[in-house]
Amino acid sequence: MISQRLREAIAGVFSEVDVALAYQQGFDKLHATPCFMTMPEEINKLIWNPLCVHNLTSYLPSLKKKKVAVVVKGCDSRTIVQFMQEGLINRENVVIIGIPCNGVISVNKVLHETNHEPIEDITFGENGEITVKTLKGEKTLLLSDVCPDKCKTCQYPTPIVYDRLVGDPITSDKSPDSVYADIKEFENKTLEERLQYWEQEFDRCIRCYACRNACPMCICQDSCIAETRDPHWISQRATLSEKFMFHMIHALHLAGRCVECGECERACPMGIPVNKLKRKINLDMKELFGYEPGIDPEDKPPLYTFKVDEVTIKEHKI
Amino acid sequence: MRVGVFICHCGNNIAGTVDVAKVAEETRKLPGVVYATTYMYTCSEPGQEEIKKAIKNENLDRVVVSACSPRMHELTFRRTVEKAGLNRYFFEMANIREHVSWIGENKELNTNKAIEAVRMAVEKVKQNKPLYSSSFKINKRVLVIGGGVAGMQAALDCADGGLEVLLVEKSPSVGGMMARLDKTFPTIDCSICILGPKMVDVAQHDKIKLYAYSEIDEIKGYVGNYQIKIRKKATYVDWTKCTGCGTCMEKCPSKNSYDHFNFGVAPTRAINIPFPQAIPKKAKIDPDYCRQFVKGKCGVCAKVCPTKAIDYEMQDEVITEEVGAIIVSTGYSLIDIERLPEYGGGRYPDVITGIQYERILNASGPTSGHIVRPSDHVEPKTVVFVACAGSRDKSIGIPYCSNFCCMYIAKQAILTKDHVPDSQSYVFYMDIRSPGKGYDEFTRRAQEEYGVKYIRGRVSRIYPKGNKMIVKGADTLLGTQVEVEADLVVLGTAVISNSDAGHMAEKLHISYDTFGFYVESHPKLRPVETNTSGVFLAGACQGPKDIPASVCQGSAAASKVQALFSKDMLESDPAVAKVNINACVGCLKCVKTCPFQAIKEKELRDGRVVADVIETVCAGCGVCTSTCPCGAIQLQHFTDNQLLAEVNAICLT
Repeated sequence: MISQRLREAIAGVFSEVDVALAYQQGFDKLHATPCFMTMPEEINKLIWNPLCVHNLTSYLPSLKKKKVAVVVKGCDSRTIVQFMQEGLINRENVVIIGIPCNGVISVNKVLHETNHEPIEDITFGENGEITVKTLKGEKTLLLSDVCPDKCKTCQYPTPIVYDRLVGDPITSDKSPDSVYADIKEFENKTLEERLQYWEQEFDRCIRCYACRNACPMCICQDSCIAETRDPHWISQRATLSEKFMFHMIHALHLAGRCVECGECERACPMGIPVNKLKRKINLDMKELFGYEPGIDPEDKPPLYTFKVDEVTIKEHKI
Repeated sequence: MRVGVFICHCGNNIAGTVDVAKVAEETRKLPGVVYATTYMYTCSEPGQEEIKKAIKNENLDRVVVSACSPRMHELTFRRTVEKAGLNRYFFEMANIREHVSWIGENKELNTNKAIEAVRMAVEKVKQNKPLYSSSFKINKRVLVIGGGVAGMQAALDCADGGLEVLLVEKSPSVGGMMARLDKTFPTIDCSICILGPKMVDVAQHDKIKLYAYSEIDEIKGYVGNYQIKIRKKATYVDWTKCTGCGTCMEKCPSKNSYDHFNFGVAPTRAINIPFPQAIPKKAKIDPDYCRQFVKGKCGVCAKVCPTKAIDYEMQDEVITEEVGAIIVSTGYSLIDIERLPEYGGGRYPDVITGIQYERILNASGPTSGHIVRPSDHVEPKTVVFVACAGSRDKSIGIPYCSNFCCMYIAKQAILTKDHVPDSQSYVFYMDIRSPGKGYDEFTRRAQEEYGVKYIRGRVSRIYPKGNKMIVKGADTLLGTQVEVEADLVVLGTAVISNSDAGHMAEKLHISYDTFGFYVESHPKLRPVETNTSGVFLAGACQGPKDIPASVCQGSAAASKVQALFSKDMLESDPAVAKVNINACVGCLKCVKTCPFQAIKEKELRDGRVVADVIETVCAGCGVCTSTCPCGAIQLQHFTDNQLLAEVNAICLT
């Protein structure tokens, strides 16, 4: 079992680190939750299954001065690569334990399928079938039906960087063209349609900032424009324009940095597709600069460099 | 807070299309505004007195002048408020002339827009903070880039004024384009005879350090304190030993080297001295043609050199110098003749450029001043000149006039008649542009005394027939087609910027236009300054211009440097970036994006790393402020709060 091999892997590096980050059982069977292990006996708590959705690397910048072992999936590993590009972590202080991943579960989708009944038990079959037991009986779902959208086009099922790999590497069978297919389709709408769409979505925002708090790449800390009143970019008013402004700034701060881990969207209690904006900008970055965040530790984010002449932008041409 | 607003009529410039009284009336209603008035010419002395009086009588602590562009009078009014005891940054200007009255005709709309502009300025000035400049020492040495006539004039004028000058010239000799000319219009002075003494002065002046055959690698720093890296390119001849005797050139077996000085009219040797009057008169090897480099064996020059100056192993040398101001006089280039296929450019040897003809006419040129055509070395009897070959031609991206071709074509036509009395010259022209002193008389003399036939019209095609060139074109005055059988065709090719002009501009942080010519600070009132303080322009790098204009600019740039260096200390501009260390998260993205390397990282006592701005290096461009995700780095006088106040002033009311 992967869980057992994972425990062994962590036990193997435990003496080298101050803390190990993995997953443990949450408040019910449907929820896993991050666990921070500092003592060897805690290792037995950890679990591994498709409910381990969280991007644990989000904690790394705040643990920059500690030695940390962290469990990462393919998608999570991109965050580490981006951290390395931006100098937000010391690579030598991190032990990366990679796990090739066939896809995780969207809790919201499962709850939707089971009409939000309390979950008694959940078991996972060999071939991606999920059996959910509620008071009203049992239901079998397919992983491919209840996974987050990001898994459906996943290009990096095996971590890009790791120190130990638990399990065998998997290669993606998803077409690279499918990654931004939804964005391209959305762009076919007229400007008015798109505005209307976003106004409807952002109108639901309750300004809880869960999206920001879950985002591994948000670095403004106490200076986030959402709360700072100096400069006074946004007021406390719960109006559409204030909500719109917050989401636009959030998206722009992630231009060329978003690793598309989807944590913002997962954390949103209102089901707003907040990752869509960031992915749209990523698509632009790819077309303009040929740059994809979180792929190569040696890359430099194009918006964090100054070049007099950009190869693809012909403004200085005589 | 007590804001005073002064609305200028600017004669009729503003009051003509803006109801200034109404602007004042509306302004008085704004919170914080305690005084608003209108004045005929606020920038005049009595206008400034009004401001000072109001500051005193009304106890104002902020001032807004609503008038022209701040680029015209911001400094004037800053000084005014400072004299009245306010910090000069407690002043804002609302531009209701260039932004409002000059561009709109509807008085009501204009008035409303002016009111909004004033409201923005009032909101901004209320957010302004007092700023204080610090002063720093300046290095009183000047760098002149380019040793053409403009650069030499600038260098000499600076040096005569007691300044130390570094003159960096890309080619092996100073002199530039003027050294290649035969005669100069409209006086028919021998060009090198009048330029030669200047070149000698440059060489002998003890305040001028000449770096010939050198280029600028890197420019760092700011006005008063530049660090320059100069690359002395390898000449493969030790210039401390070379006496310029020319023996090497005589004996060199590689005889087909391209002659840059003569624009390829005739080949030269692989080791050469460009022309007899060259300064410095030293030889250099062209490794593209030298047998020692191409084939790995020869060594003839090393054998014959009486002072053993040849060094095939020589490498480029990079020298670091420090200066306080820079004069840019990098000159111009000419359009490649192959871009003019309709004239047979590059295909027919007897279609040449004006500068090539200049070398043929020149007594020290490859033909010793005998006019012969390149194909068969026969003296031409019919010479056709084509003006505007490339110039004023939007289709090849050169819509501008090259300034001096009309004049040199007239000169060359006159000289042709002098050299070959039984010759006939034709000039195809669009307009004759001869507005200088004695210029029009000169072109008339070409037509009336020298019988040059001027045909107003463009040439459509040039092609060979036997040993003649057929020039087909229109005579738009007669409304007919004309055809001239010519022995030689001379194209007045368009003036363009140097191919590396853009790179040089980026090293200097100055702006350049779409054509690569450097942009002056103001087209009329600041013609030799750039928007980068400490960098000045001279000569054709700023736009095509003839010798007198280039010399004028050289002297003008020198006088600007003298004025700058008349003080021992310069004041720094306090409107630079500043880091709020409490908000800085130490991501240091600003360090990576700063185009001036003006930000470094700093470790605080608690071990936290934050960004730190070097105030004197910061140019206040604002790239860092837009990079910083958390707004921790702010451009003073243009902080987020100040800009937001302006935005809110128009968007929220």
